[in-house]
Amino acid sequence: MELAARNDADAFEVILERHADAVFSLAYRMCGTRPLADDVAQESFLALWRNGAGYDRARGSVRTWALGVTHNRAVDALRRVGVHERRRAGEENIEEHLQAPESTDAQAIANVASQEVRGVLDELPGEQRRVIELAYFGGFTQTQIASMLDTPLGTVKGRMRLGLEKMKVAFATGRSVHELA
Amino acid sequence: MSLREPDFDCARCVDAAPYVLGALETPESYREHLATCAICQAEVDELQLVVDTLPATVPSVSASRALRQRILATVRSEAELLNAAGPQADRLPRRASRWRSRPLTLVVAGAIAACAAAAAIVVDSGSSPHMRVISAQIAASIKGAHASLYQIDNRSNLVVSDMPQPALGKIYEVWLNRGGASPQPTNALFSVTNRGSGSVAVPDNLHGVREVLVTSEPLGGSSHPTSLPLIRVVLQA
Repeated sequence: MELAARNDADAFEVILERHADAVFSLAYRMCGTRPLADDVAQESFLALWRNGAGYDRARGSVRTWALGVTHNRAVDALRRVGVHERRRAGEENIEEHLQAPESTDAQAIANVASQEVRGVLDELPGEQRRVIELAYFGGFTQTQIASMLDTPLGTVKGRMRLGLEKMKVAFATGRSVHELA
Repeated sequence: MSLREPDFDCARCVDAAPYVLGALETPESYREHLATCAICQAEVDELQLVVDTLPATVPSVSASRALRQRILATVRSEAELLNAAGPQADRLPRRASRWRSRPLTLVVAGAIAACAAAAAIVVDSGSSPHMRVISAQIAASIKGAHASLYQIDNRSNLVVSDMPQPALGKIYEVWLNRGGASPQPTNALFSVTNRGSGSVAVPDNLHGVREVLVTSEPLGGSSHPTSLPLIRVVLQA
């Protein structure tokens, strides 16, 4: 990353190859269409390239940084498109493009990690999982979510926090969300 | 470890979860608050770790080769120009903010992707030379192609992607239209990779040039255009 931050295009190509699928996957999950996801992924990588010096290793891995940028770009794109025109990414959309799992160790580890996170998220009470997914993957604001669910704003905030807090404790302790009070 | 109760020592702590999920309508005000509130900052730091795991739940979808090539073509062109411009010509000044900061130059990518009417983006990088990116108009016959002209000071590079390869016995030629009866030929001839990417330095100072054009010409180039422009970069209306 340090090399890429010094205008080294070859170094950036390595970063691109390493993280392109993860970045695109998140963009596609959020945007729901390939053209919009392409735009978001391209914007994200060029942001990383042009603002590479903004990367702070202390704040996490390059992938975490890249995905954070991608998420912000996707939210911006979704809000530009407008809620009513937004096509929220449904699972049926994604499944058409599912990759065959790769057999590398890294992919195997990633799959395990992915399943674990997915499992914890799925264990959350539906109302908590829903507000998290609407906010993070749907790009909706808390007020929009409150309106969509016909739920007080304070309740939406509380569900977001409680859901994330449960996930945190579940990761830290290895306990099921169902075991948490 | 057990579930924590919200810390009500700060009334704004309830905004921490919506903030890390990107659901606040005005995150800027909360971001300012974070700079002065250790309670909220600690809450954000803890919840952010959880949010950072959410992308792992997304099914993997491959980024297309065309997308990778578009990104790389832009990166290589900018690297070439920035390196040629010297150590002062670096990126934008670093912005002191969290991940949600929006680098000014991001619109450049949009300009490349949009490929609509010419639009210039001037990037002011403080003491660095000015960088200008102008998206090109593309002929309908090669719909789907992208082209942008990158200018740093007096150097200009035309970067294309998703361009078809020139027909057999042909090559792309760059022309400068200074408003005369016929555009002036240049010695900038280029082709593209089998994936449609290419880059060519546009010779001469573009002062007074109204348009940069690209046509398909016989190998070796032409002194007068023999075909209609495929790419048009409008510098002056």
